[in-house]
Amino acid sequence: MDGRVSLSQVAMRFGDFTAIQPTSLDIESGEFFSFLGPSGCGKTTLLNMISGFLTPSEGSVAIGGSDMTRVPVNRRPTAMIFQNLALFPLMSVYQNIEFGLEVRGIDRQKRRKSADELLELVALTGSGDKPVAELSGGQKQRIAIARALAVEPRVLLLDEPLSALDLKLRQHMRIELKAIQRKTGITFIYITHDQGEALTMSDRVAVMSEGRIQQVADPMTLYRQPQTDFVASFVGENNRFPGRVMAVEGELVTLDAGLPAPLYGRSTVPLEPGDPATLYIRPEQWRVGPAADRHLPLGGVILSEHFEGAWLTLEIALDRGPTIRAQVPHLTPGADVEVPLVVGGACRLDYSPREAVVLAGAVHEPTNEEGVDVAATA
Amino acid sequence: MSSSRFFSWALKAYLLVFFVYLFLPLVIMAAATFNESRFPTITPWTGTTLQWFSALWADSGMWSSLVNSLMVAVGVLCLALPIGIASALFLTTVDGRGKSFIYALILSPLLTPGVIIGISTLIFWRGWGLNGGIALTVIAQSAFIAAYVMLMVAARLQRFDRTLEQAALDLGASQWQVFRRVLLPYLKPAILSAAVLAFLQSLENYNTTLFVAGYDTTLTIYIASKVRTGLTPAVNALALLMILFTVGLAMIYEFKRRREAASRPG
Amino acid sequence: MWQQLRRRFGVPLAVAIISLLGIWLIAMVLLPQWQMIDYSFHPSLLPSERGGVKDVWSLTNYATFFHNDIHLAIFLKTIWSSVLVTGLTLIVSYPLAYYLAKVATPGQAALCLLLLIIPFWINEILRTFAWYIIFAFKGPLNELLLALGWIDRPIRFLNGDTGVLVGMVYAYILFMVFPLYNAIESLDTNQIRAARDLGAGWGRTHRRIVIPHAKPGIATGCIMTFMLAAGSYAVPALLGSPGSRWFTQIIYNWFFEGGDWNQGAAYAFLLLVLCIVFVTVIMRVFKVGLGDIAK
Repeated sequence: MDGRVSLSQVAMRFGDFTAIQPTSLDIESGEFFSFLGPSGCGKTTLLNMISGFLTPSEGSVAIGGSDMTRVPVNRRPTAMIFQNLALFPLMSVYQNIEFGLEVRGIDRQKRRKSADELLELVALTGSGDKPVAELSGGQKQRIAIARALAVEPRVLLLDEPLSALDLKLRQHMRIELKAIQRKTGITFIYITHDQGEALTMSDRVAVMSEGRIQQVADPMTLYRQPQTDFVASFVGENNRFPGRVMAVEGELVTLDAGLPAPLYGRSTVPLEPGDPATLYIRPEQWRVGPAADRHLPLGGVILSEHFEGAWLTLEIALDRGPTIRAQVPHLTPGADVEVPLVVGGACRLDYSPREAVVLAGAVHEPTNEEGVDVAATA
Repeated sequence: MSSSRFFSWALKAYLLVFFVYLFLPLVIMAAATFNESRFPTITPWTGTTLQWFSALWADSGMWSSLVNSLMVAVGVLCLALPIGIASALFLTTVDGRGKSFIYALILSPLLTPGVIIGISTLIFWRGWGLNGGIALTVIAQSAFIAAYVMLMVAARLQRFDRTLEQAALDLGASQWQVFRRVLLPYLKPAILSAAVLAFLQSLENYNTTLFVAGYDTTLTIYIASKVRTGLTPAVNALALLMILFTVGLAMIYEFKRRREAASRPG
Repeated sequence: MWQQLRRRFGVPLAVAIISLLGIWLIAMVLLPQWQMIDYSFHPSLLPSERGGVKDVWSLTNYATFFHNDIHLAIFLKTIWSSVLVTGLTLIVSYPLAYYLAKVATPGQAALCLLLLIIPFWINEILRTFAWYIIFAFKGPLNELLLALGWIDRPIRFLNGDTGVLVGMVYAYILFMVFPLYNAIESLDTNQIRAARDLGAGWGRTHRRIVIPHAKPGIATGCIMTFMLAAGSYAVPALLGSPGSRWFTQIIYNWFFEGGDWNQGAAYAFLLLVLCIVFVTVIMRVFKVGLGDIAK
């Protein structure tokens, strides 16, 4: 079963408004692929073009190698899990699951047989005769999955299906969805604004903003090597240092960010001395030491600390620089930091240049609302 | 404080008077059925009897007009229900220019006096060779009953979750199957209520029917003519039966509606 | 519009929807009305004369109306009486609607609404017939008044307009109560409390808070009641006398006794214009739209 999805130069315009800039993308058969982005970034529009609810203004959509651009939604080999699940409220669980088979004219016994198999797959054997109104939130979720799988789609489209669940159930369903995807081998295309969901489940993630795909990569690469400022600040947290390139040596870039000491980072794009550039340091990459430790290049004053279980989150005003956020292992007896960090007291900081990314262009303003941008320059 | 107590007392007294005003005429009319007096009244009470029921039973004019009324009512159901449902679907699906004009047109029969609807229908169809009778009555009554059907169906349709349609389409259903399997079952309660209302409206209608019934006298026209010529308490007996019938139907309808409201989660 | 329908329902169903709506609005509403108006501007002719030289557009039928003092008087009386019925119904309904919406507990309100609905389900003819019995010369009302000694001779209630007015208020009261109830119910009770708290008396609270809020309901109720009253045939036919005829009765006579349909169409059109004018005036005065009325 070929579940490849190819978008070539698809664009969507509503009047003057461009919802999707021309976009090309290939999704492999059997891949768990996510679109991640804030609301209004165009990810749902893209999904609707794959499912067939929207016809792109330009470009084409192919599934399994055949062109689907003009194929209506009810003849596409896709099935969708809706954000509100959209289970048919007046039908029983069986009737819901069998609906897609029934409209294809498949006879009763075969329908019942595959419905029973699907109920087993989603671990709800025996609840086929219940009205859907009697199911719990998690059960409804599974029935929605079973109903979509019943039509044997090549591609399963999931539109933020976990957003209505509470935290515990949501985390549990992540594991379960991934397991179902492995078992069935169907291509899953998953829409979410929750980076935790995207990063834990996906083989690859496309980060979207303002109708444009910013970066497509596996979760680890996305986190460690963001390619745009948006990705760097939307996925995970980042401290941002806009400045000017002082020197380039292979991948190693020296940056003047207006601090007493130069900053060092890694860049995969060609940069010349004098170019504007921005350096990103993740909160967990900071090493925070006592004020007396002159080996650490940067100095600052601790403004606040928040205990978060495994971490202690510190807000530190860098000397002659911005306020940054740092996450350090919290101090337990026997930890190797001997001098306790005191709110209001001075400290010294260091980080590993290997984990600091440098991107071309000096970005001073936060680009979005949902992305956590700690280091907006003062 | 005392003024507000006065008002609440006055309001209660008013309510009492109001409901007496509402029900006493019906009670008197029903009571007169059992009075022996040849003219329907309760004063003087000349003796208790059930004879007017048998007089009604023997009244062939009443029976034939009842049959006509039922035929008209069934015809109205066949015409006004599809039209009303189609209009509700139309209004909840389209938007854009011209919609408010069509909406106004759809509502206009409700704001037109019934006699006008009867007259215009009579005049228009005479040009096509159709004269007053059952068929014309069905057409004339449907012209405004369809608007009531539209209002009731549209009210439920507005609360419909369109993603259910998307889900069904996505699962491979044709648009007809979506309509048949998802939308129609959802609308069923509203359509049933609309059918009951349309049926009763048709049975009760007088102003419109008067002009288009021709020689096919309906029950209301028969009652009205009886009141003016040859009035006996047999008319009261008929009224009593009709009241019991409508009240019974209203109770069943209300009971079903409440049970449905109670069973709806959330 | 067609695109939206086709996308949602598919071609066959969309065609069916458009056809049904079209048949209704064109063949059952617009063309008949148009034909009636057209009729009213033509003289009454024998079938053989139709389309001939005499079949011309003329205002004769309207001239007949304006030169007939009796018909003119009946038309004006119908307007005046319908306004009176509308006003009376509003006064009678308002306290009840207010009680249902703001004073009664949910249980009481539900019971009262059910009690109100029961007569509403019963035929207008029968509701009128009930009053016919009460108002009869030897009927219970006269007997009661005689027994109380308030009158010494029975009154002929069915001779004047009294019977018609009382019967109409009774017949159409629910068309006023329900819109009023719906409108008052949507008023936040705290507004009433706040007004009372700020020292407003009951009269002022209603005048300044409740009635302005209930305007769409008042407008709807008045429109429905006036339309029903002006267009009523049953009530004046049963409770009126030859001396207190209603305009609808004149129309009826043109059709089925005078045999002049063109003349009757002209009279019917006048009645329609009257109702349209009333609806428009009320909608302007109360600043409400059609959407409010449909609720």
